[in-house]
Amino acid sequence: MKVGVLGIGKTPHKIQHEKSLKDLAVEAGRKAMNDAGVSPQDIQMLYVGNVGSVGFNYENSTGLMVAHHLGVVPAGAVRVEAACGTGAWALHLGCVAIASGLYDTVMVLGCEKMNDLATVEGTSIIAQAADSKEEYFSGLTFPSGTALTARKYMQTYGVTEEDLAHTSVKNHYYGARNPSAHLRFECTVEEVMKSAKVADPLKLYEVCPMTDAASALVLCRPEILESQPNRPQVFVTATSMASGTWYQATDTLDDGYNLFAGPAARAYEMAGVTASDIDVAEIYNSFAIQEPLGIEGLGFAKRGDGWKGAKDGSTWLDGKVAVNPSGGLLCKGHPLGATGATQAVDVIEQLRGVAPEGTQRKDAAIGISACRGGPGSVGAIHIYQREG
Amino acid sequence: MTVSAIEFSRLGPPKLHLFAMKCETCQALSPWWERSHCYKCGGDTLTESELAGTGEITNYTVVYYPPREYVGQEPYVVGHIMMDEGVTLPAPVMGVDPDAVEVGTRVAATLRRMKLGHEGDIYYSYKFVVDDDPAPRKKAPAATRSAVRKPAARKAATPTP
Ligand SMILES: [Zn+2]
Repeated sequence: MKVGVLGIGKTPHKIQHEKSLKDLAVEAGRKAMNDAGVSPQDIQMLYVGNVGSVGFNYENSTGLMVAHHLGVVPAGAVRVEAACGTGAWALHLGCVAIASGLYDTVMVLGCEKMNDLATVEGTSIIAQAADSKEEYFSGLTFPSGTALTARKYMQTYGVTEEDLAHTSVKNHYYGARNPSAHLRFECTVEEVMKSAKVADPLKLYEVCPMTDAASALVLCRPEILESQPNRPQVFVTATSMASGTWYQATDTLDDGYNLFAGPAARAYEMAGVTASDIDVAEIYNSFAIQEPLGIEGLGFAKRGDGWKGAKDGSTWLDGKVAVNPSGGLLCKGHPLGATGATQAVDVIEQLRGVAPEGTQRKDAAIGISACRGGPGSVGAIHIYQREG
Repeated sequence: MTVSAIEFSRLGPPKLHLFAMKCETCQALSPWWERSHCYKCGGDTLTESELAGTGEITNYTVVYYPPREYVGQEPYVVGHIMMDEGVTLPAPVMGVDPDAVEVGTRVAATLRRMKLGHEGDIYYSYKFVVDDDPAPRKKAPAATRSAVRKPAARKAATPTP
C-alpha cells in the first residue's frame, strides 16, 4: 500500500478556553490544506475523528459540522469514533479511501475539546469508552484500571515503580522541547516518584492531561505527490487495525501484547520492513505503563524489557529507535479524537526533518505510530516512509 | 456515570446477589457482564451461577480521583478478587489501609451501599472485607479453573515501592 502525505497541520496542544471545537478543527484543517497546496474544494472526502463532542460540548455530527466550516461541502463527510483509537481510525479510513482508487485527495482530521467541562465531568465522559455501568460499577476509572495493568506488569516481571518512572523522565525531556506540547517541563525519577498519587501505583507524572487540540492530514494518490518532487516525499505504507477486550478486569498482559503485536506484524509485512528498520516511533502512552507495553508489542524489546530503553538510552533520540520524541501523550496531552492524527503528524514531521529542535531523529526515514483505545479494545498501527 | 430511572431498574436489582456467568459449553466462569459470549471458547450461551462470596486479592489499586458517584469515599481500594470458584471480579475492598494492601489476602463479600446514583438512586452491592475465617469455601466447584488455586501461587512476590 502507498498513500501520499500531501499536507499536515496541527493546533497547539493545551487548554484553549478561547477556542471552540470548530475553531480548533478549522485551524488544523486549514494548516493541512495550506501545507498541501490545495483548496477546500479539492477535498473529495472528509473523515473527522472525534470521541466525545456530544458529552464535552453538547454537539453531535462533528464530521458534518467540520465539513461546513472548512468549506469542503458538498464532499462526503463523516465522524469516526473508536475510543482513544479514533484519530488513527480516521487515518485508516482515509488511507483505504485512497488505496481503493475511489478518491484522489481526502482529508483526515482529529479533534477534541475537553476542557469546557470540570475534570470530574470530563472523567465521566471518558469512562463511557469502557463499560462504565458494569465494570466501573466497582469504583474503577481509566487511570485505576490501567494501574491494575501496571501492577500486573510489576508482579509478572519483577519491575519496580522506580524502573517504570524512567519512561516519564524521557517523555518529559522531549516534551519540554516540543512547542506544541501541553506540559513542557523536565523531571527526574525522584520527582516522578514524589508526584501526587492518582491510582496506585500510577502517579501524576505518569498520567496525561486533558487537552484541547486538532490535527489534520491531506492524503492523496501517490502519483499526485510524486509529480511534485519539490514536496517532501513521505508516504503511508501500512495501515493495520485490531480490536481487543472491552474489560480491564479480565484483560491479561497477553491480551495487551496481542493488541499491538497482531496488527504490527501485518503492518511490517505490508510495508516490507521489520521492527529493526524503524527510526522513530510514536507510541500511545496516556499512562506511562502503556509505552513499555507498546515497545514490546511493536517488537522493539522482548516482553518484560520494554521499560529498559528509557533507562539505558536505547529508546532516546539517538538510541536504537527513538520512541516518543514528541514527548508522547504524557506531555502533549490526550485530546481523544485528535491523538491518533497528532501521532501521524509528528512522525511525518520527523521524516520531513522538520521536528522541533532537540527532538529531531537524525536522518529519520522510516517511522511508525501505534495508537490504542478503550480498556484494551483498539490497536492501530501505521508505517510511514520517506523516499529520496 | 448517568443512568435513567428506567435503566436503574435493569442495572440495580441484579447487583443484590453475587454471581458469575457460566459458559454452557466449556463451564468457564466470567464476570456478570459477560451475558452473550464466552471469551474462553466462543460459546454463546451463558447462565447465572451463584458465588459463595470468598476469594483472595490478586491485584489492587488505590483510587485517589474517583468518578462522581464515589466522590467522598477516596482514597479507596479496588481489588481484583479471585473468587474461590475461579473467576476474577473487580470490587472495592473495605477496612484495609490503602498503604498496606497485600496481594494474597483472603476476603469475603458483604452487602453494602455502593454509591449514590445521578437520580438519587442508591445502589447496593457487594464490597469485600478481610475474611476472619480464611478457609476457602466453594459453592460450586469449577473443575476447569481449579489450577489457579494452587496455594503456592497465593503469596506471589509483590514488588515493594
Ligand atoms: Zn466457554
